[in-house]
Amino acid sequence: MQNLNDLQKVLIIGGGPTEIGHETELDSATVQIITGFKKHGVRTSIIDNNPFSVALEEIQPTNMYVQAVTTANVRHIIEKDRPDAILPSLGGLLAVQIVQELIENGDLGRFGVTILGMTASTLRQINNPAALNATLKAIHEPVIEAQIVDTTDEAMGLVESIGFPLIVKPVSPRVDTNRTVCENVDEMLNALNQGFQQSRFDQCTLERSVVGYKEVEMVAIRDVADTKVLLCGLENVDTIGIHSGDSIVVTPPQTLTDREYQNLRDATFRIATELGIVGVLHLHFALNPANQHFYVTKVAPYFSRGVALAARTTGYPIALVTGALLLGQRLVDIKLPSRYVKQTAIMEPTIDHVSVRIPLWPFQEVPDADQHLDTAMKAVGSTIGIGRSVEEAMLKAVRSSQFSPRDVLPSVSNLTDGEMISQLIHPLANRILVLIEALRRGYAPDELSELTKIDNFYFVKLQHLLTIEQEIQDNPLNVDTLQRARYYGFGDGMIARIWQTDTATIRHLSAEAHIMPTYKMIEPTAGEFAEDASGYYSTFEYENESQPLGDRTALVLGRGGNQLGPNSAAEYFTTEMLKQLQRAGYHTILMNTNPNAVAIAPEFSDKQYVDPVQLGDVLNVIQVEHPDIVIVPGNRHYLTRELGKLNVNLHVLPPDQETGEEPPKMATIGVSLFVHGQQKIAVGVMDMLTPGMNKSLAQVTAFRMPAELPKAKRLSLVELAKQAVSERQVTGMIQVLFAPKGDTKQLTVVGVRPTRLTEMAFLSKVTGVNWVRMLTRQHIATLDDDELAKIKIDLNSNRVALMNAAFPFRQLHVLNRPGTTDQEVGATIAFGSSEALTLSNLSDTAELDQIINRTIG
Amino acid sequence: MAKRYLILEDGSAYAGEGFGAGATTSGEVISNLNLLGYQETITDQIYHNQIIIFAQPAIGNVGINHDSYESILPTAKGMVVRDVTNISTNRLSRLSLDEFLQQHNIPGISGIDTRHLIRKLRQQAGPMKGSIVDVADAHAFDQLNATVLTNRQVDQVATPRPYPNPDTGKNVVVIDFGLKHGILRQLSERRCNVTVLPWTASAQDVLNLDPDGVLLSTGPGSPLDLGAGVLEMIREVQAEIPLFAIGLGHELFALANGAELKALPVEYHGSSHPIRRIITNDIIYATQGQGYAVIAKSIDRDRLITTYVDLINGTVQGLRHRDYPAFSVQFFADGAPGPHESRDLFDEFMEAMTAREG
Amino acid sequence: MAKVVVDAMAMQRALTRITYEIIERNKGVDDLVILGIKTRGVYLARRIASRLQQLENVTVPVGDLDITPYRDDIEHDAQNEPKVTATNIDFSVAGKKVILVDDVLYTGRTIRAAMSAVMDLGRPKSINLAVLVDRGHRELPIRADFVGKNIPSSQRERIKVSVSEIDDRDAVEIQQA
Repeated sequence: MQNLNDLQKVLIIGGGPTEIGHETELDSATVQIITGFKKHGVRTSIIDNNPFSVALEEIQPTNMYVQAVTTANVRHIIEKDRPDAILPSLGGLLAVQIVQELIENGDLGRFGVTILGMTASTLRQINNPAALNATLKAIHEPVIEAQIVDTTDEAMGLVESIGFPLIVKPVSPRVDTNRTVCENVDEMLNALNQGFQQSRFDQCTLERSVVGYKEVEMVAIRDVADTKVLLCGLENVDTIGIHSGDSIVVTPPQTLTDREYQNLRDATFRIATELGIVGVLHLHFALNPANQHFYVTKVAPYFSRGVALAARTTGYPIALVTGALLLGQRLVDIKLPSRYVKQTAIMEPTIDHVSVRIPLWPFQEVPDADQHLDTAMKAVGSTIGIGRSVEEAMLKAVRSSQFSPRDVLPSVSNLTDGEMISQLIHPLANRILVLIEALRRGYAPDELSELTKIDNFYFVKLQHLLTIEQEIQDNPLNVDTLQRARYYGFGDGMIARIWQTDTATIRHLSAEAHIMPTYKMIEPTAGEFAEDASGYYSTFEYENESQPLGDRTALVLGRGGNQLGPNSAAEYFTTEMLKQLQRAGYHTILMNTNPNAVAIAPEFSDKQYVDPVQLGDVLNVIQVEHPDIVIVPGNRHYLTRELGKLNVNLHVLPPDQETGEEPPKMATIGVSLFVHGQQKIAVGVMDMLTPGMNKSLAQVTAFRMPAELPKAKRLSLVELAKQAVSERQVTGMIQVLFAPKGDTKQLTVVGVRPTRLTEMAFLSKVTGVNWVRMLTRQHIATLDDDELAKIKIDLNSNRVALMNAAFPFRQLHVLNRPGTTDQEVGATIAFGSSEALTLSNLSDTAELDQIINRTIG
Repeated sequence: MAKRYLILEDGSAYAGEGFGAGATTSGEVISNLNLLGYQETITDQIYHNQIIIFAQPAIGNVGINHDSYESILPTAKGMVVRDVTNISTNRLSRLSLDEFLQQHNIPGISGIDTRHLIRKLRQQAGPMKGSIVDVADAHAFDQLNATVLTNRQVDQVATPRPYPNPDTGKNVVVIDFGLKHGILRQLSERRCNVTVLPWTASAQDVLNLDPDGVLLSTGPGSPLDLGAGVLEMIREVQAEIPLFAIGLGHELFALANGAELKALPVEYHGSSHPIRRIITNDIIYATQGQGYAVIAKSIDRDRLITTYVDLINGTVQGLRHRDYPAFSVQFFADGAPGPHESRDLFDEFMEAMTAREG
Repeated sequence: MAKVVVDAMAMQRALTRITYEIIERNKGVDDLVILGIKTRGVYLARRIASRLQQLENVTVPVGDLDITPYRDDIEHDAQNEPKVTATNIDFSVAGKKVILVDDVLYTGRTIRAAMSAVMDLGRPKSINLAVLVDRGHRELPIRADFVGKNIPSSQRERIKVSVSEIDDRDAVEIQQA
């Protein structure tokens, strides 16, 4: 082991494209850790092929390896770049597996590369459940005995001793989440057959099922001196049997006794010490509610959505602190930025609010997927609600999870009783709504608890919300009722709907009765210290802690939880925009509910409001902050319209402005121009590729730049594009679409549209010009004509770039097929001097083969 | 639920909803920052005559459990919370919090901006009296201002007569100043044959029982109000047998050995402070609950060694006698509620007793 | 079969208690020097010294004594008496209070050799003995002043002390021969 103080170069294994299992939380942590490394004089290089990565923007191009995250590529970089150390904890399980392979084949030893954050032996155990279980057993931590089987016959021999239900899990799976609960032999055999295929070693494990136990997660941090801090406990409302990523999660735990909680804390610390973790450790436990016994079910010494939630809810700067720990600092010595109380890193967080995280599923865009929630994660994102009661936090989270433009909860009252019972036992994505509906129909909390294994407490809380809802119904326009409704988290839109009025009336009534939100700081000491944290949430109490930032403020509204579509790109856009606004001298305020967002970390804005991005809540923030400009995401039409009616300086960014044109049915070439006054900068000419037979515009999910055209042809298309733009009143980053006319190969203009978020990120990465910056400056009128004129872009570059959308089909177990832009979950990007290299770097070769066949030759 | 008020001696009044007993009570208002463990907190006798503001916003969620009592007859004066759930169906529960408080005539008030109060107590450092009342009128404030809080807290909560807690191991005498049960549980786990004596016991009373060790318990109020007798007892006993003191016991141990105490501007009740164990230079967390602290400068280094220190406020958290196996900690080593990593102090105590046997 | 009789936590506590007892017995740390007997006694000695440093903010000199180990498997005779073969002591022991530190106290022969070696170096004010484990079966009139743990053992058993500085962990185990 090298002296960590001597580290000069660290290679970070990036998280790759967003997919089910992780989204932008890894990118967010990566950015913060890179910033920390930089401060300590450590040079960071990174391998990642996520075109929407913010981290890649933070790194010198020479240290950036835009390549697929594979063992071969990482080895290549090690050979070339000779880093002192490698960091696996920012790339999820894949990174841990890659480093494991690099140890096994001797590469790390050969090049003297230290692993940061965990030992080689720990790494091996994370990849090998049996080895990990042996270690945990040796230190008397209870584990579920998993037995490895190579064949179905072996499994049959174990059935009697384990008993049903049992769980089949592939050994060292290629994906994060494949566990199957089997009730009988037939189910087991099916699961084994699938599992053998998914395993890197063609093996599966069999183990006792703890379905119905409480699932509790613990997030801790440890330094080289073995000081440990328990950062946060997370309680899954749904019990074991539903993947924690598909469960509603509450923090701090609400239905654990102190003894149960402390026992898990003890176990967490013992495991952290035994495994020699430096940095963050995220554990899962199955807790038997009947007798307080527990099992350790997952050991994850890397960044994850659980860690992100812990950071958001406690206000503890986990990534910042981890960065310092990785370089060998001790918790007692860590110096945090001045907004934190001096000793924050070493104080065990204690909080005085409740956070609830609700997952978001992609079933609207992928309707043929099985919508049942089970042990394989299906959610693509999540959204949180923070409040001062479980009701308030829960209702805020539900409101943010439903995407109702008017902030009204959908009803599932059309379910038959039979359907409802079935869904209580075999939950679907609308789980929470069904639970509420069952209470509405008169089921008692303890009955429902029996049926669902969800703790009775949560039904008592939901029922309380229904009582308040009834009170709202019974007392139209009553201010006491309004006070209670807002106190418990009801949105203005919900109240307005029940009272059959509009939100303006509700707001007027509230103002008259002085029922105003009070914002509370999200900080890790529960008021013990005068922290100066930048995160806030609303409640309706006595003291408001949020003071307006003052002059020149910009309020940026986030898009809420991650969904399919351009969300990762939007996150990139939002983060870069915030940076630019700050650089332009604005005080920046972000409002968002996605705990995994990059931009929600305090590093990127002066203030963050974690509140539903709904009209009433937005207006409340505007009332406190009086922002000079408000920036609304393009997909929020109702919100935009309503805000537009008020005296608010509104910008719809990223641009979704109507061009007044019907989009064309299809296009094969896109020419992007940055239009500013009379200037029209040609940014790129790209092929718009459709992997499937369907050539429609919605199927364009891959892009190549420069387009496969003769150089002169590209230039002539640019001229045509400029002409097309001149004929229209458009500004900003514009894409002119071309398609062959009729049967001829003659390319003609078929449409003009604002450049989509995904392509905007692509263009920035390819041209090396931060177009989000340009666009933001254009909007706030600080864009310098001369600066713009100086931008030189080689439209005929020999370097080829390719971006290809990633889809969640495989993880949702639906047929692999060409997806549409609405079904994108993320994307990969690759550069190369030759076509072959470019294409081999992309993840989905099957699709790309099709692309190659169609576009080359 | 009835509308009630929390009033403070600074003249402020906060409206909320009553739960638990409907009694009107007065006490010193303090805050507790622990994340969990409301039952352990409300039943701990260190809160005698105090009204507790809970930082944890949701209280009552797991009812009242048989294994979470720190005393059977709690004597706190009230609970101030943001949100209360009166649930009794948790698998271990017998009672809801509401029923429990009614039985013990302790009022609770919910719907209070507890975060505001905690911030306010911090800013307006110094003791603050308060009452939970039905009507926040001038009369209520007059009553509050006229209330004189007793300084005989230990007398009120500690046992007046000895009782045994038999087992087969080491003979331990526990001096009860308002003992929390967590201490007895830790001794029971180590099979100690315990005799609990009233705090007024003399050294002779203790030594007559021929114990292997003596433990000075936690308790409420000020150690300065208990007189010289107890300090004399400590000095005599520590010279003869291993001694372990916790909380109030620690404060008395310090006084008995010449150190001085100061009242903290704000009582601290929480478990988030790192505490350095000086001898090994490592860091632990433990539940702390203190209104007083040993003045570091007053420690006679020829008699006492400082063994633990709070890294946040610098307070002395542990002492040890130079000449005898006698040691003390300010924090609650039994970890009920709160972190468990200081429980090995009980092992240290056991080993000190064993070592004395030779 | 090996059975752990002292785990890492308990070992920490034992050393902590020994440290305090040293302070109690010696009324402080003045004139104290600590000599560790190789191999594991050296590490235990250093740990005690570091604890004293933490508590008293005084650096107590630490030295090593290398002693050919006493071997259970060879009949005891004059040739097989343990001998001090090397010392690493860069300070004078004359007039000092010497604390000898070893991991296991067994027959007492090793300690006798250590004491002779110390006496050869100069006349200390006193010699005290601290051991992590006293397993009994003394063959000489020697007794430890500070004992981490008494482990009555049969002579057939082996007591194995591991220290994290050179072994993979801190532990004391009993192994059946």
